[in-house]
Amino acid sequence: MTAAIELQSLVKQFGDTRALDGVNLSVKRGGIFALLGRNGAGKSTAIHCALGLVKPDSGTATVLGNPAGSIAARRQIGVMLQEAHLPDNLTGREHLALFASYFPKPADLNALIDITGIGDFADKLYKKLSGGQKRRVQFAVSLVGQPDLLFLDEPTTGLDKDAREAVWNSIRTLAADGRTVVLTTHYLEEADALADRICIVNNGRVIAEDNADAIRQQVGGSLIRCQSELALADARSLPAVREGQRQGRWLTLLSDDANATLRSLLTEDPSMTDLTVNKPSLEEAFTALTNQHPEGHA
Amino acid sequence: MSASVFSPLLAEIGAEMRQSIRAPEFLIPTIALPVIFYLMFGVMLARGGTEGSTYLLATYGIFAVMGPALFGFGAGVAAEREKGWLRIKRVSPAPATGYIVAKLTSTLVFSCLALMPIYLSAGLLANVALPTQVWLVLLASHLLAAIPFSLLGLSIGFSFGSGGAVAVANLCFLGLAVLGGLWFPVMLFPGFLKTIATALPSFHLAEISLDIVNADSARPVARHLSVVAVTTLALAALAVWRWISQR
Repeated sequence: MTAAIELQSLVKQFGDTRALDGVNLSVKRGGIFALLGRNGAGKSTAIHCALGLVKPDSGTATVLGNPAGSIAARRQIGVMLQEAHLPDNLTGREHLALFASYFPKPADLNALIDITGIGDFADKLYKKLSGGQKRRVQFAVSLVGQPDLLFLDEPTTGLDKDAREAVWNSIRTLAADGRTVVLTTHYLEEADALADRICIVNNGRVIAEDNADAIRQQVGGSLIRCQSELALADARSLPAVREGQRQGRWLTLLSDDANATLRSLLTEDPSMTDLTVNKPSLEEAFTALTNQHPEGHA
Repeated sequence: MSASVFSPLLAEIGAEMRQSIRAPEFLIPTIALPVIFYLMFGVMLARGGTEGSTYLLATYGIFAVMGPALFGFGAGVAAEREKGWLRIKRVSPAPATGYIVAKLTSTLVFSCLALMPIYLSAGLLANVALPTQVWLVLLASHLLAAIPFSLLGLSIGFSFGSGGAVAVANLCFLGLAVLGGLWFPVMLFPGFLKTIATALPSFHLAEISLDIVNADSARPVARHLSVVAVTTLALAALAVWRWISQR
């Protein structure tokens, strides 16, 4: 079976900015795939290439075996974009009905309204909805075509905690049905909670692609936190220290060999207190990975 | 199977009409303004003969179709583009032509709604008497005029943000109406304004309609028709270019 998404050597330049610098990515069918990156890292541009909204300067993008943006590809995907609104003067139900007319085998709309939990406001004009309700109508619209592959660009931005949980549950149900869900997010907890696989994009390149545990492993090392007077520069030059940060009295060090670092740290600053040693969280792994790959194109 | 071809288009047209009906701030001025003007200048001020009423029937008919075309397409497309709606449609299997055809259908329906009260005022209040087939040919000439103005509106919608598009559409609306001789006959214009008028599609469209309502007219209709045809093609090319470059 062909891959859900296949991006090969994608390059895209916007003026002085190289948004994509040779992105290679293959997303298998089934499961939830998260694209993670800071603002401007290139994750949205990569998605836009896969949707056919952006034409890459070079490289190819294939979706479910069809060229990105082709009608065959568009019939099999559902999309929820960022900062893209439906017209104000139609209700959610009317938007769903309009979208249903575009697809060969649309979903049953009443069932869809139930599943996505938009029943309470499906008959209100779009312009009368709150931000979170609008987002959930857009989510329902992305599912009208019963897509094999769902693209969700920052799906839970602006949602409160309950609405976010509801969308997460829908996403899990879709994946359990055998559909592929690709989402971009800058919430690491969202990627951690949902995704089977995570891809980290930085400066227009894929710098890591694996499951969440493996990405944590990839960073490896231990995080040492303590309250200490030691100067940051001195702390960074301790044995086995890869990264160091200071926030007020708190010192955080990422070490490849916690024992070696700790022995020197205790010698240098016997007065340090509140010591903890942990494996890095996904968030810390993300920070470490994206810091290791600084601006390639200044 | 044929239903699968037409149902998206019908759904699109239905959605477009429903949206327009729910936006009275667009509907009322575009439908009410032309007939109010016609009642003032074509009926009340033209007492004594039907000549003025007939003349302004032809020209206000062109004015009436400009509003839905320039504002429905110009302001409507700009707002929908700015809000990201066109991007949502581009990644869906919605046919691009469906959007344009639905907007054009809606423009023609609202043009008819703007024309009918003018025709009724002319026939019933100003005693403009024309044979039935002349009324029908006049209606056809007015509705055809909606096409070049829709293409112009489309270019505006693809070229400006929603605020700018409303301003430019207004400018075109008033400029084409006044300078094209839709409000006051071109023959009353001073020389240089006459020259400007002959460069505008609104003038040539009005001349065609004037020829239809005036049996004795010696207007060079073939020339006006060819100018309109060339202008329409040029506006179509402009719209396609603006459409491609905004993507």
